[in-house]
Amino acid sequence: MSNTASLICHQLVKVFDTTRAVDSLDLSVPQGKIFGLLGPNGSGKTTTIRVALGIYLPDGGSVQLLGSSDPLAVRHRVGYLPEERGLYAKMKVQEQLAFLASIRGLSSHESNKRAAQWLERLELAERAKALTRDLSKGMQQKIQFASAVIHDPELVVLDEPFTGLDPINTRLLKELILEQSRKGTSIVLSTHRMEQVEAMCESICLISDGKPVLSGRLAEIKAGYGKNTVTLEYGGEPGALDGIPGVLDVRDSGREARLQLEKGSDSQQVLKALVDRVEVRSFRLEEPHIEEIYVEKVGAAKAARQQMGSQQGLQAQEASQ
Amino acid sequence: MSFQQVYKVARREYIARVRNKAFIIMTIMVPAFMGIYIAVLPLLFEGAGKEELKISILDGETGLGGSLAERLESVSSPRLEVAENLIVTDLTDEARQPFNARVLQEQLDGYIVLAPDPEILATARFYARESNPNLIRRLELAVHTTLLTEILDGSGVDVDRVKKVQRSDVEIVTVSSEGEEEGGFEVAFFSTIALTMLLYMAVLINGQGMAMAIVEEKSSRLIEVILGAVTAAEFMAGKILGVLGSGLTQLGIWIGGALIMVLFALPAMAMGTAETGFDLSSFLSFNLLFYFAIFFALGYLLYSTLFAIVAATCTSTEELSQSLFPAMLPIIIALFASMFAAISPSALATRVLSLIPLFTPLVMLARVNVLMPPLWEIWLGIILLALGSLGAAWLAAKVFRFALLMQGKRPSFKDIARMIRAA
Repeated sequence: MSNTASLICHQLVKVFDTTRAVDSLDLSVPQGKIFGLLGPNGSGKTTTIRVALGIYLPDGGSVQLLGSSDPLAVRHRVGYLPEERGLYAKMKVQEQLAFLASIRGLSSHESNKRAAQWLERLELAERAKALTRDLSKGMQQKIQFASAVIHDPELVVLDEPFTGLDPINTRLLKELILEQSRKGTSIVLSTHRMEQVEAMCESICLISDGKPVLSGRLAEIKAGYGKNTVTLEYGGEPGALDGIPGVLDVRDSGREARLQLEKGSDSQQVLKALVDRVEVRSFRLEEPHIEEIYVEKVGAAKAARQQMGSQQGLQAQEASQ
Repeated sequence: MSFQQVYKVARREYIARVRNKAFIIMTIMVPAFMGIYIAVLPLLFEGAGKEELKISILDGETGLGGSLAERLESVSSPRLEVAENLIVTDLTDEARQPFNARVLQEQLDGYIVLAPDPEILATARFYARESNPNLIRRLELAVHTTLLTEILDGSGVDVDRVKKVQRSDVEIVTVSSEGEEEGGFEVAFFSTIALTMLLYMAVLINGQGMAMAIVEEKSSRLIEVILGAVTAAEFMAGKILGVLGSGLTQLGIWIGGALIMVLFALPAMAMGTAETGFDLSSFLSFNLLFYFAIFFALGYLLYSTLFAIVAATCTSTEELSQSLFPAMLPIIIALFASMFAAISPSALATRVLSLIPLFTPLVMLARVNVLMPPLWEIWLGIILLALGSLGAAWLAAKVFRFALLMQGKRPSFKDIARMIRAA
């Protein structure tokens, strides 16, 4: 395992008109790992990626992509699957793949060869001469993923790669991503779907409003929260879980519930209280899901912003009086 | 800028265009239309009316009706049949009503009214549903001859010689640095319109096609993938060169087709053109084709770069069709200017216009066709045009990088000015 990073963003800033889409962002993508770039819609994930890949120029800060401070200089060693997909509708499938490979620096012979190989892999070989627009959306997405990795990049950036895929194609794509990872390719996975992050990512950066809220190795982040969450299977009346001492938050799904414990509270005391109130079928003490951390962090950031907003509102009111 | 990348983008664009149905249709249709144009236009100018006309003469007691009838009957193209020669005393509107009715019912094609005149014996008026320059010329000749014969009768002047004098034409020979050339204004004018129209259409259609392709790539977000691999300048250059290549291919097919026509079909065509006085060789001189290719290539480069800038700032094809007009305006003006140039090829205004890059392709081409300008003027125009294209490309490269990725809203002029300064 190497400690060098494939991508480092330092104090990155990108401003559109008056919005700071990316605001003093630091992140570091470890080499050969899957890195999760998380955040709600509109939090600046795509803009961060575009600046990191040199599609946009930053308004502040710096980018080190594969050791180069000029992202465009190394762009043939990078693969990119943008969030909004597009292919040439009237181009034949194999020609399209070969073209996208060739502009990433492969010779035309090599491009053709790899395009054919990939179609074979994706079980689309018999559609090689079909027009791209005649392919289903799932097939097009597979083609586009292939085009992002066909030149064996050292770093692949996937922006919401699972959007619009059915479960079978989702699984296939997941396998393809893991296969790239096993080959040693660094992968940036930008998404707001937490179950994938949980399953695939080694480390993450969670951003909200263009600012990093949380970053680091996933295991360390979770360990930092400790085993403070209980998964409970129970039988009982609705509302029976309310007001248990030592419990900060309850997410009750009816038959199962997740309880977030207060810091320093004794899980045995909580269990005792539960036994008194409901029929406990199973009680497991766990680390929090990344989704819970995400909601907590983003929620906190939103709350802080709203507070700031209302303060500004007050100031404005005062000013107008 | 990596030329390999430009080549790859250009190659893809070229193949996509040449395979396109529109390209194949255009390649066949334009020569077809040109052929029709060449065949029909001289006829329109000469007048392609009826072959045989039935005419009456209303002689307002001038006594010249019979003699005029004789002259009219001797006209061969179109053949004129004098239905009747009536001596009338009343030439008022009411009196002519029945004749108008017969003209409208197509019993007559028209009638000539001869009114007495103290000085030149008679004035003539021709009433008809339609007329054309050729017919008018024949009628005038017949009337003049009739009157002259009457006036000169007994003066000792040989009337036959007067008739011959009347029929003689002034032959026009154009003198240029290339030497002397038969034919004047007409040939030059029509061939210039044909050539400049062809250039105009080639530039517009190819340029618009490219602008459309850019907007499609932009709205399909394909641009993001492409710009992850090639720079905006490489993308634009490849795009423009690819479309230019397909345009030149088309031109090559047309020229090749024209050469085949010259080799195999010219003898047959020469018979057809001899009558109308139209010379096909004026379309096919090597010199002209050479300049046509240069002006097409450079004119296309300049205009498609302008179109590309406009396209980069548009978010949908609807928006594009509205916004493209300002960029098209100069070439529309240039088309009219080239017609002016065909009429006055050496006027100062023409010479100035032909050196303004946006107008050079059409106006200079018109000048080359009508009256070969001094070589230094042509090449000054070409150099200025090339510089203009480079300037536009420089501008486009700056605007492109940012405008291409802007979605949703269009950049304002302020934004564009900022892009130019920033890049």
